[in-house]
Order: sequence, then C-alpha cells, then structure tokens
Amino acid sequence: MKKIILLLLCIFYIQTPFSHAVITDYSLKIAPIHSNHADEVELEFNSKIELGLSQVFLVSKGDKHELLKAHIGKKQGQIVVEIPPIDVGEYALRFKVFAADGHLTEDVIHFSVME
Amino acid sequence: MAGIADFLDSLIGGFDLICYALTIGCLFWTLFLFQPWKERIDSSNTLLLERTITLIYKGGFWLTGAQLFKIVLKIWLMTAILEKSPFPEFAETTQFIGGLTRATLAFIFASYVYHFLKLNPFSKSRWLIASLLAVPMIISGAWLVHGAGRFENQTLLMTLTLIHQVAAAAWIGGVFQLLNVWQFVKLNKLSTNYWRQLLKKFTILGAASVAVILMSGIPLALQYIDSWNGLMGSGYGNLLLVKITLLGIALYFANLNRYAAQNNDNYSLTFYVPHYIEAETFVLITLLFTAASLASQPPAIDIPSLTASWQDVLNTFAPQIPSLSSPTHTDLISGEAGRTAIIGQIPSIAATEWSNYNHNVAGIFLTTMSFFAMLSYLRYRVLQFCKFWSVGFIALGIFLFFRSDAETWPLGSIGFWDSTFNNGEVLQHRIATLLVFTLGVIELSSRVKPNYSQKLPFIFPILAALGGLMLLTHSHVGFQPKSAFLIQVGHTTMGVFSLILACGRWLELNLEGKKRAFSGFVSVAALFQIGLILMFYREPLY
Repeated sequence: MKKIILLLLCIFYIQTPFSHAVITDYSLKIAPIHSNHADEVELEFNSKIELGLSQVFLVSKGDKHELLKAHIGKKQGQIVVEIPPIDVGEYALRFKVFAADGHLTEDVIHFSVME
Repeated sequence: MAGIADFLDSLIGGFDLICYALTIGCLFWTLFLFQPWKERIDSSNTLLLERTITLIYKGGFWLTGAQLFKIVLKIWLMTAILEKSPFPEFAETTQFIGGLTRATLAFIFASYVYHFLKLNPFSKSRWLIASLLAVPMIISGAWLVHGAGRFENQTLLMTLTLIHQVAAAAWIGGVFQLLNVWQFVKLNKLSTNYWRQLLKKFTILGAASVAVILMSGIPLALQYIDSWNGLMGSGYGNLLLVKITLLGIALYFANLNRYAAQNNDNYSLTFYVPHYIEAETFVLITLLFTAASLASQPPAIDIPSLTASWQDVLNTFAPQIPSLSSPTHTDLISGEAGRTAIIGQIPSIAATEWSNYNHNVAGIFLTTMSFFAMLSYLRYRVLQFCKFWSVGFIALGIFLFFRSDAETWPLGSIGFWDSTFNNGEVLQHRIATLLVFTLGVIELSSRVKPNYSQKLPFIFPILAALGGLMLLTHSHVGFQPKSAFLIQVGHTTMGVFSLILACGRWLELNLEGKKRAFSGFVSVAALFQIGLILMFYREPLY
C-alpha cells in the first residue's frame, strides 16, 4: 500500500517552469534604442547566468524571431545583447536563460524604437 | 516533449527530497535513538535494525538515481527548449559537476552501508564511518540550492539551506521510521511498551529538529522576502506561507502523539497514534514537494515591482456572484491568437470569462455536494439521501473534461495525445479530471455501503492528497508574474484544504467513535471551503 502511495505521489506531482532567475534591471528603461543604429542592451539578472546555455531573440511584428549575439557584462549577472539596426516600431526581447541554480527561465521585455 | 521533460524535472525535485529524508532521517534515528552498539538487542530489535539499514541504503541508492536522472532531464529539457545540444557548455556548469559529485558521494555512502554496515550492524565504528561518509554527501548538496546562484551572502545562504534540509530530513525521516516501527508492533514483533518508549525518545529528536528548522528557516526567509507585500503578494511568499501552515498541521499531529506517549495512554498509542502518524506523513510529504516547488520561484526581494498588494490577494477571495454564462467556443478561440502574441498582445476577455465560468461552476458543484455531505453527518433518517453526495464528483469530472482546455480535443483542434504530452498545463488538467472522476466512483461505493475493513475507500484520501499536491505545485505559465501569482494564490489555498480533506477522511476511515465523526466532518467542511473559493474565483485579465 505504501509503495503504491509513494508511486502515485511521484506520478501525479506536477509543476510548471516559472523559474528562479529574473531580470532585476535593464538598460532600455533609461536608454531607448533609436532606429537604424546598431546598439547594445544590458540585462541584469538576480542570479549568475550560463551564457552558453542561454538565448536572446529579437521579436518583431508578426512574432518573427531573430537570434541575437550576447556576451557577459562587467557587472555580476549582467548580459549585454547586441541589437542590429532596426526600423521604427514595436519590438520585444525574448530570452531563455539557464541560471547557475539549474533553472531555465523564459521571459519577455517589450520596447519601442523611435526615430 | 518539453512538457514531459519539464514535468519529470519538477517531479524529481520532490522525490530527491523524500530519498534524502529517508536516508538521513533513518541514519539520525539510529545514531541518536536506536544506538544498536549500546542497547541490549533481542531478535525483534534485530529485525527493526535490519529494516532501518535497508531503508538507509535504499534511500541512498534512490538518491543517487534521482541525482543522475535530474541531470539527464536537464539535458533533455535544454535540448528541447534551446533546440540544440547543451554540450560542451553544460559539462562546465555547477549543476552538472555538483550533481555528478553528489550522485557519486551518495552512491559511496549507500554502498558502504550495503556492503559493510549491513554485515556488522552492532559495530559502533562502522556507524561512525557511515556517518563520516554521509557528511560530504550532505555538504555537496550546497552547490545545488538557490543560494549557490546568489550574489549576496552566498556562503551564508548555502549553509543555512543545508542546515534546514538536514533538520527537515531528521524529522521527516524519523516519522517514516515511526511508520516502519509500527508495522512491527502491528505484527506483534515489537511490544507496545517499546513503541511507547521510541515515541517518547523521538519527541525529543523531533522537537530539536523543528527548532533547527525554524532557526535556519527564519533568517533564510528574511533574506528572500523583505516586505509584507513580498510575503503576501508573491509566489515565493505564498508558498512560504503554505509551508508554515503545513508545518502547523504536522505539529498538531505531532503534539497529539507526544501527549499520548507522555500520558502512557495505551489505547491511544495503539489505536489512534499510528493513524495520526500516517496523516502527519501525508502532510510532511506534501511539505517536501512544496519546498521543491518553492525553489522554482523567484524570491520576492528580486521582484518588488511585480508583487501584488495584500488588498489584491484579499480581493481574490472576496465573495461575488458566480459567473453562470460562458463565452462561445468560437469567441474563445478567436481571442487566443491575440492573447498569446508577443508583439501587440491583446488580453482575451473571452479566455478570462471562460476560466471564470469553469471555476465558478465547479465551485457550485463542490459547495452543493459538500453541503449535503455535512448534512449526512447529522444522521437523521430524513437526510438519508445525503449519503449519495459524491455523485457530484462524477458529474464534475465530465464537466471538467469538456471545459478545461478549449483549444484541445474534444472542443478544439489540437489532438488529445498531442495536447496532453506537449503542454504541461493541459497534462495537469487531464490528470485532475481523471482524479475527480475516479474519486466520485470510489467514494460513492464506499459511502453507500460503508465497510471500514476494505481498502478501496482509502483511495479517496490518497487521491485527495495527490490533488492537493497538484494544486500546491500548480502554476500558470505566463509573462506577467503578478497575474500568474493571483491565479496561484487561489490554487495553493485550495491545495491546503485538499490536504485537510485527505487527512480528515483518512482518520475517519481509521479512527472510531466521536473521533471518526469529527474527522469526517472536518474533511467535508474542507471540501466546502474549496467549493467557496472556486465559486468566487475571478481570473485576472491577461
């Protein structure tokens, strides 16, 4: 009976991935991106990020995804994302990051590009 | 397949903690209570000692397996989400190295217990060596906790978490061991006198463990939560409150056991205490899975602008007129594209109303059936028909199957198997639906013709506990933590009541006289509370 209970407990245990690493700050708040200029965006996380196991996408109208290059920043938990020249409009940065605590996190930051 | 990988990844966290509690708890039990090198051992004690050693090495081997499986699942999950192989980068991460190290150390510890300690269980030196081998295994776990990824007070957080885990394992593993001892008492292989002595001794170990749990847990909580809104209005704070509530319930049962042991109440010790311990086990296992779930939440201190206020939380439970009209399936589907878009996202009123209707109608089902269930305890002849109250579960199961996920079969275009195995949330709803339906069938047969010697009625409290476990670890994926939290807070509250429902029914089936009736009434009263929460549920617009 106890084995069945334990097995059932395991089988039915479920949870979805709202994970641990979260953005605590990002440069878009104070430094907006201007159209047709290559730029960089700094993302700061609350945890150490494994860059090789993380991806950042630029999402444009129609939810088109473009994989962006990124490198580790100077501050702890900081990632610097390279933004290619883009037109005026609404965009988003969608990232999938693997934190040092072993959790994969997905999140989105929306932003506008001006003249 | 990412849904399944994620599902298993979450599952293994709780299983890992159970194995850890089993092996470390039984080790502590032997070192501090049993002390086989000291006591005069007779044949029945030898049997108990053999069983204890078996639990220790089995727990250790399962822990090894769980650690390795965790690594495999991470690789699977990352491959599915990143759409590429995670190697060679993953091989250099703390998670990979720390996980492998812990698995190796757990294997060495379990192997020593299996190959050496088992052969000479009365040797003090072998128990000491086993304890020394357990130390690196315990310490290696520090690199796998959240504190390892933090920038501030990293060492302090890792140390406090380790102490917290060890204390919890000593308590919970000790309770597992009490169940083990009871099996021997039941078979007359151990005396009730010895049972009472062990209970008394365990009271001291248990109280010390709880004190350490609190002493390590409080500073940890203060490091991760820095405001009342963080405690009341974030997923992290909410699960912490759930843990505190579960701790309170477990301590209530522990106190009943302590009272019976100290008063040498042989009747209670034989007929009540074992079942209190079983109910306590339900609570403690749920506590472990909640702890694993807590580890997947961002600490409240990191998301001050995304937490809900306590007024928002209270508003979630405010009584309102239940929603009895549903948008059409076409309206719901037409709003989904806008709701799930990243650029130009449009919150779907239809989706919110659809969900409100589902929850509110389910609440009406539960409130009504639990009302009749409470009446059935009055034992009036005129209320005989009330014993059929559990038919409501069957009707509810059918309702949920059609209404939970509109985009999937039978109402939507996504196939049954495709939706079930590629979407964790749909999978949760499918399991919940099956649980409710099964509960109804089983409970109906056991309530109409009660037979307390049968095993089938025990399925109800087990499934109710599983339902509670699901609710406590259920979170809705979304990009708005505040909305997701406001959905979560209702689910976790219902999870706690589900556990009370499970414990109450378990005790009703096992106890006698007034205690049976009282437990049964508490059980259905908890169901009534779940019904009220569902009936007044309002989903945030997102």
